[in-house]
Amino acid sequence: METQRRPVGLCNSLLVGLFWVFFSSIGLCICSSPVSSEVGRCDPNSDVSDSSINAFCSSKKYLMQSYYEKYEDLLDSDFQDFIAQELPFGLCKVLPHNLSLALRLSVLHRNLKGNGSHRHLTSSIRLEIEQESILELPSHYCEVIIIERLPSGVFADPFELQHLLQRGVYSNIAVFGDTNLESPSFLSNRSAVEVHMDVGHDLLLSHSEESNINIELPLHARYPPLDESGYWEVNFGTPDYFMRCSVEGKSHNQSCLFRIPDINGSDSTLGTVVWKIPSGMKVHAGIVSVVTFVAALISAILIAVTSIFYSDNSIKHSKES
Amino acid sequence: MATVQFHTLLLVSAILRVVLIVYGEWQDTHMEVRYTDIDYMVFSDAASLMASGKSPFQRSTYRYSPLLAFLLVPNSILHRSWGKFIFSAADLLVGLFIRVILKLRGVPENLSMISVMAWLFNPFTFTIGTRGNCEPIVCALILWVFICLMNGRVFQAAFWYGLVVHFRIYPIIYALPILLILDPHVFRPGQKPSLQRWDHQQESPQSSFKTRLAYLLWPWLIVKSAFTRDRILFSLISGAIFFLFTGIFYQLYGWDFLHESLLYHLTRTDPRHNFSIYFYHIYLQYEHKISVLEKLISFLPQLIVQLVLILSFAQDLPFCCFVQTVAFVAFNKVMTAQYFVWFFCLLPLSLAWSNMKLKWKGLSCIALWVGGQLHWLWWGYMLEFKGRNVFLQLWVAGIIFLFANTYVLVSLINHHRFSPVFTRLEKTFKGAKKLK
Repeated sequence: METQRRPVGLCNSLLVGLFWVFFSSIGLCICSSPVSSEVGRCDPNSDVSDSSINAFCSSKKYLMQSYYEKYEDLLDSDFQDFIAQELPFGLCKVLPHNLSLALRLSVLHRNLKGNGSHRHLTSSIRLEIEQESILELPSHYCEVIIIERLPSGVFADPFELQHLLQRGVYSNIAVFGDTNLESPSFLSNRSAVEVHMDVGHDLLLSHSEESNINIELPLHARYPPLDESGYWEVNFGTPDYFMRCSVEGKSHNQSCLFRIPDINGSDSTLGTVVWKIPSGMKVHAGIVSVVTFVAALISAILIAVTSIFYSDNSIKHSKES
Repeated sequence: MATVQFHTLLLVSAILRVVLIVYGEWQDTHMEVRYTDIDYMVFSDAASLMASGKSPFQRSTYRYSPLLAFLLVPNSILHRSWGKFIFSAADLLVGLFIRVILKLRGVPENLSMISVMAWLFNPFTFTIGTRGNCEPIVCALILWVFICLMNGRVFQAAFWYGLVVHFRIYPIIYALPILLILDPHVFRPGQKPSLQRWDHQQESPQSSFKTRLAYLLWPWLIVKSAFTRDRILFSLISGAIFFLFTGIFYQLYGWDFLHESLLYHLTRTDPRHNFSIYFYHIYLQYEHKISVLEKLISFLPQLIVQLVLILSFAQDLPFCCFVQTVAFVAFNKVMTAQYFVWFFCLLPLSLAWSNMKLKWKGLSCIALWVGGQLHWLWWGYMLEFKGRNVFLQLWVAGIIFLFANTYVLVSLINHHRFSPVFTRLEKTFKGAKKLK
């Protein structure tokens, strides 16, 4: 008995000791290494030495952040109004006023890779620069901004995007709007993914007249509303493309943000992507409810009867013996 | 000799877990599919938020006690695998506690070792801690409560029980059997309770099922016999601990804590596919409000089973808790694989009293239970990864899995040698005690 008490006594002391350590430390603030960077948030205290990148670390780092400061939900009409009012933004007069005409964008391909509830939206775009339009320019740093307004029923996981950011796939990526990972589509709002792709220094003066950009976004399907056909169709619209160029060597507010027109035009079928998500069927409702409850009841009764007869049988045997 | 063997077992289990943790780190870095559970990322993020002085509930889907985030604060200071080592250590502690409990009950060495191995080398359990799931901590706490009760330390048992219910709500189902076992004829002040040995010839449940049911249904009978000193103290202390922690964390983190850590689990209905037979019904009804009557009807099977199992087996506390947990998981509105650990830690405590032979009854139970899951997983894969509408087939697979669970539970009950944990102490004359 004593030997059995010793390990128990030791465990006892160990557990109580551990408990009190945790309990007494619970109010302490522990400073640690930097918090892992959150997707979609600009930290003005971040340890970034590159002055050109600092130029982007302003309150308007993300377009969608500004959008959600003005609007509550993502509606296509509101978004178009927002873009029309906000752009071109910044000191675009520092750069040639017809800069937006000097750039052309074409969508090479756009589709949904994979099967099931977890897929990748892939886009390949080509940026063309008409060199003749570009005259003298100061040294600058540009990035392409792609805003993918996700349809209702599809979402992007911010933690997954953070993983991509840590792997250096994009220079910045953020998701805005309803990022609840669990709610079905009929109880959630739309969201948008904003991707920033660094196209390097002095793009507009570079000798290459075109550059290709490939984007792959991991997306997930929400549980859709019920549908008689058993599938719910989700249609993706066309994304919006922007360019932000910052002039180096000056204060960090010297940037120009403008929309890049798509030479394919908004009627292009290349932008149309459809995702068919399996959905529940209303016709199943009655039979599923009834059979579920009957099955649960049968199982419960079987277990209950076994237990009751087990007890009573045991008493009978012990009385007989 | 036996101690040396057990220490070897523990050492081998520890090495296995360390190897798996290291392998997990490698797989996470080099392969698309991660070894680490997504929940571990949630715990780690919440812990790093807490380390910066923020609320862990800023991390979406963090639905646990802040104590867990606190435990994992070293993830951001030392190494991100710190939490996995903690969970695996708890896992090994469960193995140690199983051995302690079985030794206290006088189980022979060979049976004790087999039972411990049923936990330490169960592929399900050694992956769960190494993948970063926190359930081993809950299991260790529950077994510690049993050990405290077996050693007559009621206050201590109450303290840890209050803590474990704060950590995870589900152990509340053990409240009634624990209170029933706190018999004043067993727990005497200043005296250790007498434990029934494994080799003691079987005796029946102390009273028939009907008698116990009568006690439950007649309130004055309950009042007369139920409100004993130990039962009142156990209830008060465990309740106080639970509310103390709830109060502290409510002060620190407000409504977020209450909702995410407590209320969410009490009201959770998830329409997304899971093992539960209710998932498709919930999805089909999600757009409409479910009536109170429907909620009551869906809760009825769970209630019936829990009450009958408690009334039948409460005196054999580990077995009672085991069958209760199996039934609780099987009849729950949501069922995920991590819930299986809740009863896997209690199974070794009852194996030594089972008449079930591995060939072929035992193997048939294992085959049916595993087969039922694999069948469900196949349809789940077709739905989630192939995008086919197989909701009906998936739901039927859930019904089949419920019947598999029922078959296993019924078999385990029928092959169990009922063995109360405690024996009653009776005074024959002053200064002497006789075992009844």
